Formats: sequence, structure tokens, C-alpha cells
Amino acid sequence: MSTAAGGPAGGGLNPNQVIILGAVGGLAGIYLTMLNQAMDTTIFSFLGGIGAILAAVWGADAVRRVCSYGLGTGVPSIGMLALGMGIVASMFGLILPKVAGIPTVAGPIIAFIVAAIIGLIIGVMSNKILMMNIPIMEKSMVEIAGAGALVMIGLSAAIAGSFDIVDIMPAVVETGFIALVFIGGAMTILHPFNACLGPDEKQYRTLKVGVEKGALIMAIAGFASLTVIDGISATLTTIIALVIWVVYFKKFMKDTHHDAYLVTGTGLLPTEEELE
Amino acid sequence: MIDPITIILITLGGVLIGLGVHFIPVGGAPAAMAQATGVGTGTVQLAAGAGLTGLISAGFMYHHLAISGAFTNSDFMMVMASGAVGAMIMITVTMFIGQLVYVYGVGVPPVSAKVKTDPITGDVQDIYISKGTEGHGVPTVSFVSGTIGGLLGGVGGSMIYVQLMEIVGDPSNSGAVALAGIFATGVFYVNSVLASYNIGGTIEGFHDPKFKRVPKAVVSCLIASLLCAIIAVPIMGGVV
Repeated sequence: MSTAAGGPAGGGLNPNQVIILGAVGGLAGIYLTMLNQAMDTTIFSFLGGIGAILAAVWGADAVRRVCSYGLGTGVPSIGMLALGMGIVASMFGLILPKVAGIPTVAGPIIAFIVAAIIGLIIGVMSNKILMMNIPIMEKSMVEIAGAGALVMIGLSAAIAGSFDIVDIMPAVVETGFIALVFIGGAMTILHPFNACLGPDEKQYRTLKVGVEKGALIMAIAGFASLTVIDGISATLTTIIALVIWVVYFKKFMKDTHHDAYLVTGTGLLPTEEELE
Repeated sequence: MIDPITIILITLGGVLIGLGVHFIPVGGAPAAMAQATGVGTGTVQLAAGAGLTGLISAGFMYHHLAISGAFTNSDFMMVMASGAVGAMIMITVTMFIGQLVYVYGVGVPPVSAKVKTDPITGDVQDIYISKGTEGHGVPTVSFVSGTIGGLLGGVGGSMIYVQLMEIVGDPSNSGAVALAGIFATGVFYVNSVLASYNIGGTIEGFHDPKFKRVPKAVVSCLIASLLCAIIAVPIMGGVV
């Protein structure tokens, strides 16, 4: 971490643009899975995965901004915290409509708000009680928890084809895919900055890793949904995810080569005979 | 509908996890290069590894005891003991194998840089520290401390799991099992990350001066776990 510790992170997209992209895009993706119920199909399940990717990009950008101050514990910790808060909030948000008898459609919004509240409290505690003294800690924790909850719900909706807890319980929770969503979702948020951190870290490269990682976990979610929704919808989710993955992995490689001082082939290791 | 005892016990479980993390000898990246005492990985990874193993062993015991009928207080103790033993086995195996790598692979003696003599064995420490390092390997005091950390983490994790399962009261309900498991995992991560922020990444065990920061972590984990506990009760109530 010491190489990246120091001050605020700069970058092409300003934080507010990424927040709007992640929060609005993530919620839109999740809510668009309601097309499934409207048209009595499961073909639109992939939209939940797209929402998860957008939320993951937001989470990765928030992690990037807060971790550039140096946490002292490594980047992965904050990603696991994000999904720890996210899973508590998203399960509460999705189940509350069923318990309290309010419309299911309120679920993701409630989850998002509860995540933001938990994030705010943990952010305030980190600065005021644990004395971490990171100026953007409170704001970043709200963002990271919100993004974590959206990634969770997005991926669950991609697997189950709906964000209604009545569908998610048997499809995602009882099958155990929830563990996959948990760890995979944490990876999409923590990995991009963890992989790119250093003095030459650039926002566009880090966020491309975010998209690529999100697409990878979306592909796995699509594969998992083979056992839940029909084969065509599941295959569609997987194929769309793999296409996004290939496109963004290529873009990432191109940017890496562009930013590198020199890209050169070292050849294979010399054989024993050549060394003699 | 909301039972205060359940909320108190879930909160207590969270605090025990936060406390347990402070006992585990975490060296972080420097320890991975044998330049600091402890196991060479992050707090969260170590605590979660041990805690999740504890959850699995607690879950096994809970299922075994609760499926046969009434779940009594002595059963509750058995489940927590099972969770504690699971977590302790995981953390001690990790420390032991790490120790073998440090001693026979890297070739450094296990030594602490924070104390002059080992508080348990009385062995002299400072003359064995390689120049420019903060100690290396897992000395006896850190090993014992780590085992205590596993115990606290395992007890805390299984306490949360059992309380969540008891809200539903049906061990054969696979939805409840999965939800309680993943929820306990979520609370586990929140508390272990908060604790690791408190110690700033690395700690050698209870003899480390950083251990004095424990009260701050207890307060933070108390607030965070209380929040999670209040949220958890309606969630588990929604399963049935």
C-alpha cells in the first residue's frame, strides 16, 4: 500500500459521474429485470448482471479513491467489508417487503438506503473512534456499501430472473449460489484497484478491470442460473458477459501497453545446454 | 417479535469476533517476506479463514443436535465449543505450516521484535532478530495468542449463527441454514475489517503494544454488530 499512500486520487471521470453511472445504472439494471414478469419470460435476466457490472465499477472507483490514502490493511479488506455490509442490507431490503407487506418493487431501494446508512455509521466510526483520519472515509463507505448491495442484488436477479425474495430464496440462497455472489461480488469491487495500484495507477485502466471483473462474475452467474431459469436465458446471460469480458480485457491490455514505457518479449528461459 | 436476548447475543458474538482478531498474529505483506513477526497475510483473510471454518464446524454440530428435537442450553454450549475448536484448528494449522516455511524454507528463527523475552517461555528475543526486520516467524507467545484468537472468533461466529437459526427454529429448513450462514459471514467480515482497521494491519498478539487499542475496537464492533443484529431479526423472521 505504501506506494499508493498519500493523497486524493485524480482521474478522467469525476466521482459524481461514476456515482450516477453506478447508482442509476445499477438500479436501472435491477429494475429492468421486471420485464421478465411483465412479458412472462426470463430472457431479460442478463440486465441484472449489467446492473451489477455498473455498480461494481462504481464500487471499484470508490475503493480507488479511499485506498489512495492508504488504509494500512491492504485493499482486499475494504472489498470484503463492502459485501459484508451489502449482504446484510440487501437481504434486509429484499425480505422487508414480504414481512411488512409493502410492494416488492420497493426492495432494492430499501436495500440501497439501508446499505448507505450502515456505510455511514461504519465510516463515521472509522474516523471518530478508530482514528483513521481519512477525509473521504464517510462518503466512500456510503458509496462502497451501496455499490456492494447493488452488486449483490444485481447478480442475484441475474441468477433468479427476478429480485423478488420469493424467487431469490429457492434460486440463490437455498442453492448456495449466495456464497458465490458474495465472494465474486467482493472481488469485482476490491480487485481492480488491488491489481492496478501503484504510482502509475490510472482511473481508466482500473475501471476497465472493474468492468472486466464484473463481466467475469456475471458469466459465472449466468452459468449458475442454468439450474434455475431456462437454458436459453442462462446461455444468453453467459454469452453477453463473455463478450463484454473479451472486449474490456482487450481494451485493458491495449491501455496497459499504451501506458507502459516499453513492451518487449524476453523469449523463453535458456535451456541447460545454452547456458553452458 | 424482537427478542432482546437474541439481539444482545448476536451483538456479543460480533464483539467477540472483533476481540479475537486482535489476538491473531498478523504480519501482512512484510511477514510474507519474513520481515515481520506473524503469518504473512492480512487480518481479514486470517480471521475469516479461521472464522468460516469455525462456522462450518458449529453448523455441523448445530444440525446434529437440533435435528433430533429440543435445543437446550447445554447443546448451545456444545455448538459454541465445536465452533471454537474448528476455528482454533484452522488458525493453528495455518501458523504451524507458516512456521515450517519460515524456519526450514526461509531459514529464520521465530522471534518477536516487540518484547525482549518471550512472556511465556522466557526465551531471549532481541538478539535473534535479523538486522532491518521487525522479527520473523511465529514465536511461542504469538502462537498461543493466535490460538486464543481462534477460540474467540469461533465462539463469536457460532453464537451469531445459532441465534439466527433459533429465530427460525427449524434446522431442516435449507433456506434458513443458508441465510443464517451467509449473514453470520457478513457480520464476521464487518467486525474483522473494523478490528483490522484498529490495529492498522499488523499485530503480533496480546503482548504487542497495539493490543492496548482493544477498547476502541470493542466500541466500534459493538455499534456495528448491534446495527446488524437489529436488521438480522426481521430477516430471519421472514424465512418462515
